[in-house]
Amino acid sequence: MYDLSANDSLKEKLTILSDAAKYDVACTSSGVSRGGKEGFLGNSVAAGVCHAFSADGRCISLLKILMTNHCIYDCKYCKNRVSNDVERALFTPEEICTLTIEFYKRNYIEGLFLSSGVYKNPDYTMEKICETLRLLRTKYKFNGYIHVKAIPGASEELLYSAGLLADRISINMELPTEQSLSKLAPNKTMKNIIEPMNRISGTIAGHRVAIGKSARMERCGINKHLVNSIFGPEAGRIEGSSDQPFLYPAERNDALLRRPFAPAGQSTQMIIGASNETDLELIRTTQALYQSFDLKRVFYSAYIPINDDDTLPGKDTPVPLLREHRLYQADWLLRYYGFGAEEILTKDNPFLDYRVDPKCFWALNHLDIFPVEINRAPVEMLLRVPGIGPTSVKRIISARRYGNVNFEMLKRMHVVLKRAQYFITCNGKMLNRTPIEQRFIMGQLTDLEHREVYQIEDSLNTGRQMSLFSDCNLEMA
Amino acid sequence: MTIFTCAPGWEAMLTCIYEASESKLGYKNIRLLLEPLGQQSFLDEYIHVEPDEAKAEKVATSIIRGISYHFYQELAYTAMAYEEDVLDNIYHVLLLGFRFGENALKMVQYRDIIRNREIRARVVREAERFREILRFHQLGNLYVAHFEPKSRVASYLGPLFQDRMPSENFMIVDDVHREAVVHRKNEPYYMWQINDREFARLAQTEEENDEYTDLWKAFFDSIAIKERANEKCQMSHFPLWARKHAVEFTIDERG
Repeated sequence: MYDLSANDSLKEKLTILSDAAKYDVACTSSGVSRGGKEGFLGNSVAAGVCHAFSADGRCISLLKILMTNHCIYDCKYCKNRVSNDVERALFTPEEICTLTIEFYKRNYIEGLFLSSGVYKNPDYTMEKICETLRLLRTKYKFNGYIHVKAIPGASEELLYSAGLLADRISINMELPTEQSLSKLAPNKTMKNIIEPMNRISGTIAGHRVAIGKSARMERCGINKHLVNSIFGPEAGRIEGSSDQPFLYPAERNDALLRRPFAPAGQSTQMIIGASNETDLELIRTTQALYQSFDLKRVFYSAYIPINDDDTLPGKDTPVPLLREHRLYQADWLLRYYGFGAEEILTKDNPFLDYRVDPKCFWALNHLDIFPVEINRAPVEMLLRVPGIGPTSVKRIISARRYGNVNFEMLKRMHVVLKRAQYFITCNGKMLNRTPIEQRFIMGQLTDLEHREVYQIEDSLNTGRQMSLFSDCNLEMA
Repeated sequence: MTIFTCAPGWEAMLTCIYEASESKLGYKNIRLLLEPLGQQSFLDEYIHVEPDEAKAEKVATSIIRGISYHFYQELAYTAMAYEEDVLDNIYHVLLLGFRFGENALKMVQYRDIIRNREIRARVVREAERFREILRFHQLGNLYVAHFEPKSRVASYLGPLFQDRMPSENFMIVDDVHREAVVHRKNEPYYMWQINDREFARLAQTEEENDEYTDLWKAFFDSIAIKERANEKCQMSHFPLWARKHAVEFTIDERG
């Protein structure tokens, strides 16, 4: 079965190994700003650059490939598990380097995303990955963005090398609980994932302090000024036990590259819908990961049924795209809007509302503090108004310095008045005479488009006759 | 009303602003327009202004000294736009700038400032889009990219790509405005106006499809998840008008 496929053409290998890598979500080239150098190829932009958009609407920023899809593990949800009969291929380090360099020069990509199936054993795989990256950074003089996946179970030295060579390093959590992990990924353990994650975060912090930065990653935009945010000084941080960070082995080849250790931080990914976690558990885990390991991102991947297995949802289960979307919205609330997990969801109500986004849902349940006066409200409050995001808040604040702000200006500032109008006043007046009443606003916000999405996702609701009374809020009191 | 007109180009625009303010007619009685003009009114007087380096230099210096370099730079971004009222807008923003200083750019209470922000945002958004979707073709040691922008954004892209590929020879060719960014290995880039002969020669560069273009197409197809196909989303991120030079969307005529 272990066909090394050395004779495959490059195109065939690329097709097989990019097809195998497509379920990895992270394709961001963001988090580190680095100028170009003479003699080298590439730079890095803090905001990231997307170069194309594939047929599923997701951006292509990095050359996302596996080094090999040979794998000794048998994770139930994975396409490349050992028990699946799929075409296998293996890239040589040289091939990966040429592809990256040539694609980069043509402006197709912003860098490389390199992951791999576990070939022979975790250490051997990780060593091959490091070899590739070292070649790319030294012989090919590549200065662009590299995102590398750490293989759970690989040795510390190799993880350290990988971190020095790449910009971002990530370990996939896949499932948020030990129980579901042992059920669906029998070869992985929570300890094997959490421990390296903890070590990496400790090492990143150590390297940051060594060059005079704060131990914690900078958070972008307004978020760093928010007092109540999960990253703020008030938040009860759960410090990871970083008493054993990696040592700095000065004699190592990689240390001579004089690169910072994973300057764009680490991220992780969780599968949504393969096991029966609630949204509250997922959001709580996410927040804990941000706080204890200082992760830059937590990605969610809606489970796509590829394998037939008793422990997994059936093959005709719809892909939970809307759930994934709502979870990302909640994740943004954590990272940019100063919300905490407990505010977004409660124990009695552990799933996100499918009809409206989590911020609207929160606002609808806290109508007592609305409407908010645009000309006087503090930043924290403005950020909590549906339809106003960090960019709009910045514009409002800078405009308030020079005079009153009215609705026309808000419209020009691209505030989404469609949503915001129910929650704000300008100079004491609302845009229209609308009652501040939960049922009314909910009806307004759940417009036709949303209703369609809701009905596609929720099979219980399909095929129901629309009622003039219950759907259009015309029911008599 | 008196209307001052000039050809597109930063120097001509600055000269036009110079002549307009020298006329002492008062800002309410004049308008500044870019050529070519559309419908002309017989009630207005039209004055054509030829670019003059010395006069343009004077305006530039007084903006940089009187307001700030940042302000000057922002106005230069505005001037890249293709909108009809761009010169008039620059003139009015300049008047506000001399009155309030650099902070005038934040005073969205003035309509001209809001309009200026819209124009600038459009230019930057377009330039950033081309930063993403520009596609280079290899010709030996040289990489050539063609694109067709609405605004004159080539000079915005120059420094970005120089930083990205400092040790490569490349050209970014704006097919609409006939200007190009030319970069030689390890040297600073420069702008170049393309004549007809050069244009005809450069037009052939896109016909070459190399091995890596085919590989990129294969990657582009296999990276999409079929179960999540979403054409609408792809379309909104990558609209049809932007796909003209994107190799992954061109159909291979060789079969």
